[in-house]
Amino acid sequence: MFQKIVLGILLITFIITIIPLTLEACPACKNLDEPIARGFNWSVLFMMAMPFIVFGVIGGSVFYSYRRANRDLKI
Amino acid sequence: MIQSEMEIAENRPFSNAKLGVLILLGAETMLFAGLIGAFLVFRMGNITWPPLDHADIQLPRLVTGINTGLLIMSGITMFLSLRVIQNDLPKLFSDLLLVFTGTLGLVFLIIQGSEWFQLIGKGLTLQSGVYGGIFYVLIGCHAVHVVGAVIWLGIVTVMSLVGRFSYENYTGVETCTIYWIYVVALWPILYFLVYFA
Repeated sequence: MFQKIVLGILLITFIITIIPLTLEACPACKNLDEPIARGFNWSVLFMMAMPFIVFGVIGGSVFYSYRRANRDLKI
Repeated sequence: MIQSEMEIAENRPFSNAKLGVLILLGAETMLFAGLIGAFLVFRMGNITWPPLDHADIQLPRLVTGINTGLLIMSGITMFLSLRVIQNDLPKLFSDLLLVFTGTLGLVFLIIQGSEWFQLIGKGLTLQSGVYGGIFYVLIGCHAVHVVGAVIWLGIVTVMSLVGRFSYENYTGVETCTIYWIYVVALWPILYFLVYFA
């Protein structure tokens, strides 16, 4: 069941990735040749990545601390 | 009952205070991400940078580079002071390192402030345009965080001097170290982005 869900998500992601020729996140980014549109585009991508980095770092720190504590207990 | 709860809290591998600081830093990261995002829009939106109306203004890269070195050094000394406490080494070392870290932070702020005075004298102000606006907002926001970190470190140093920390109880120093290292690690990114991009 779990494998089917993962496979489904991967398939949907793959289809979404290959179908659009250009991605237009907002009207400001429509004409990607203009410098300001490129700026908006990179800015959106940069800010979009931030929540993942933040949650990744906090979650990773908590996970690593607990794992290290468990390892120390076993020793 | 109360004691057992305290024991549980003490034995927790990740203290609530540490988690609180990390969540605070997560919010700070989003703030700076927003500001850097705004900088990217302005920087990439302008073919010439600085814009033509500020073409004569040269940011003091060398002095700020040296200042960056001082701030990185303060991060190292802060980390060392935490290590000294954690390893139960003589308290004098950790106290000296904390004082030294605070001094480096203050020196950073003084140099930064003197640079700002020079730049304002040359005509780069918050109202002078996009270049001045984004420069002072981005760098100023970081400077405010350094001021906050120095105040926090001052309180931690006083607490350390009166013997409030030991190798069994160092959460206050640890949380301050996390914040300080965050502020230090953020600076080189802003420096290269604003002074070299």
